[in-house]
Amino acid sequence: MDYLLHIAISTLIYAIFAMSLNLELGYAGLYNFGHIAFFGIGAYTSALMAVGGLPIPLGITSAMALAGLIGAGLAFTVLRLTGDYFGIATLAFGEMMRLLFLNERWLTKGPMGIPGIPRPTLLGGMPADLLQYLMFTVACTILVFLILHRLETSPFGRALKVVREDEFVAQAFGKNLLSLKMRCIVVGSVIAGLAGALWAHYMTYISPNDFTLQGTIIVLLCVVLGGKGSPSGPLLGTCVVVLLQESLRFLPIPTDFGRHVAPLQGMVFGLMLVLLMLRRPQGLIAELHGGRGA
Amino acid sequence: MYYLQLVINGIIAGSMYALFAVGLTMVYGVFRFINFAHGELIALGAYSALFFTSPPLSLPLIWATAPAVACTVCVGLLQDRLVFQPLCHGTRMTLLIASIGLSYLLRNAIQFGFGSDLLSYNVDLAAGYEWGPIIVTRMQLSMLITAVVFLTFLYWLFTRTMLGKALRAVADNMELAGIMGIPLGRVNRTVWILAATFAAVGGILLAMDTSLEPMMGVINLLKAFAAVLLGGPGNVWGALIGGIAIGVAENLSVAVLSPGYKDFIAFAVILVMLLFRPGGIFSFQKGMR
Repeated sequence: MDYLLHIAISTLIYAIFAMSLNLELGYAGLYNFGHIAFFGIGAYTSALMAVGGLPIPLGITSAMALAGLIGAGLAFTVLRLTGDYFGIATLAFGEMMRLLFLNERWLTKGPMGIPGIPRPTLLGGMPADLLQYLMFTVACTILVFLILHRLETSPFGRALKVVREDEFVAQAFGKNLLSLKMRCIVVGSVIAGLAGALWAHYMTYISPNDFTLQGTIIVLLCVVLGGKGSPSGPLLGTCVVVLLQESLRFLPIPTDFGRHVAPLQGMVFGLMLVLLMLRRPQGLIAELHGGRGA
Repeated sequence: MYYLQLVINGIIAGSMYALFAVGLTMVYGVFRFINFAHGELIALGAYSALFFTSPPLSLPLIWATAPAVACTVCVGLLQDRLVFQPLCHGTRMTLLIASIGLSYLLRNAIQFGFGSDLLSYNVDLAAGYEWGPIIVTRMQLSMLITAVVFLTFLYWLFTRTMLGKALRAVADNMELAGIMGIPLGRVNRTVWILAATFAAVGGILLAMDTSLEPMMGVINLLKAFAAVLLGGPGNVWGALIGGIAIGVAENLSVAVLSPGYKDFIAFAVILVMLLFRPGGIFSFQKGMR
């Protein structure tokens, strides 16, 4: 039972993270390959504040605020790049953040990571158990979904899609490209920060190894598999990815084969990305064209 | 003297980055996408040499190099045939994501086969030469010589042969080159063979000097990418100078920063170059982004 709860919680947290990437990648066409950095910033901010004795809601709020702030800084510097160059620049940013987590020992304890991050407490002062934490994550997921859905169907979301399809057309309609993309990245970073904070309080332990290129690739797979640019795509994609990840654990394999399971998962995910690009680049749920709001 | 030693180490490390960067930039020049899976060709070369030197075959390392390079070239050609050719009319992003997927697939396949521990060849090349306080190991010297030989060969190929001329023409404008009757298929295969060979040879040398690990591909790919950007994308000679510049900068940084930040330099170079000189330091016209 605890195992099922664990799967449910991590799926939801990853779904929030994937939805935030979808806003940037699917709607605005900004291929952010350093998005994991904001997940990490959120996780570290909230974890450090909670370990330092500050109330958890304050920690989560500051995690979101800091992620948004750094997102604005990143957006301001790299937004004049387009396409694959934007991707590479954000990738470099993501790796630089990871090196910071790894080397600034006075703050992050380096490779040892931060253990003993407290779970949120209920009104009675008891730490939340798994079921209650699940409720909390469900509430967050629904909230994020509604907010993003609202954003994506608003004039702002439609403008983003125009920017993605053709920047010149968007400019001709009098849209401020830089401001649109900037707001998009800030919102995406804030939500990624929230996902990171939820992750830190759920796992109660974080280390720089949680925020590597691998995380970027997995969340990219979640978004691309589910269908970029469709509101429920990342949710579905995350469910499929987590299910696959967990079901590989239950294959009838000999025990001394255990160390091969993680690379096997990686091979399956890599192959899925390649096959998706070859066979169905639009993902499982294709974006609606010409429907309501288009 | 300490600084001179760092510079020498940097040039040697940089010559390896240059070998990787040259392949990466050739693929970019011809196919116009960033091949993320290029890093795995580096690791694959090193690991297949390990395979040929270990028990079932136990070849000496010198003899294992040839089949290892051949294996890597096969994988390079397969990449092109199975993934990149079918996608060649797609967008650059599709190709980039496909190559990221491919890179992840290959990296995990290596980990699947060899485990994720640090491994090394059983060779003893630590013996070195000393000139006063400067020490150069025999291994480092052979790295430098190999790099020079390979890059000279490339220079000869590009400037003195028909194939090289065809290559440059295709990189300039693939459609036009095709119209002029240049056999595109052959030129494309040549690019992949050259890129894979350079990656594999560099990977084996690097693994002899340090060790093998599944992540070696990605790390070196990012450095090679920084070198490519320094020299200007698609510019082979720029990649060479860029590689050496990155190597020297990285090794000199150890004198100032903590060693944990050695890799930081390459990432900073990537960001700064993309932001301020996307055409590379040698470009005089406005670069394409």
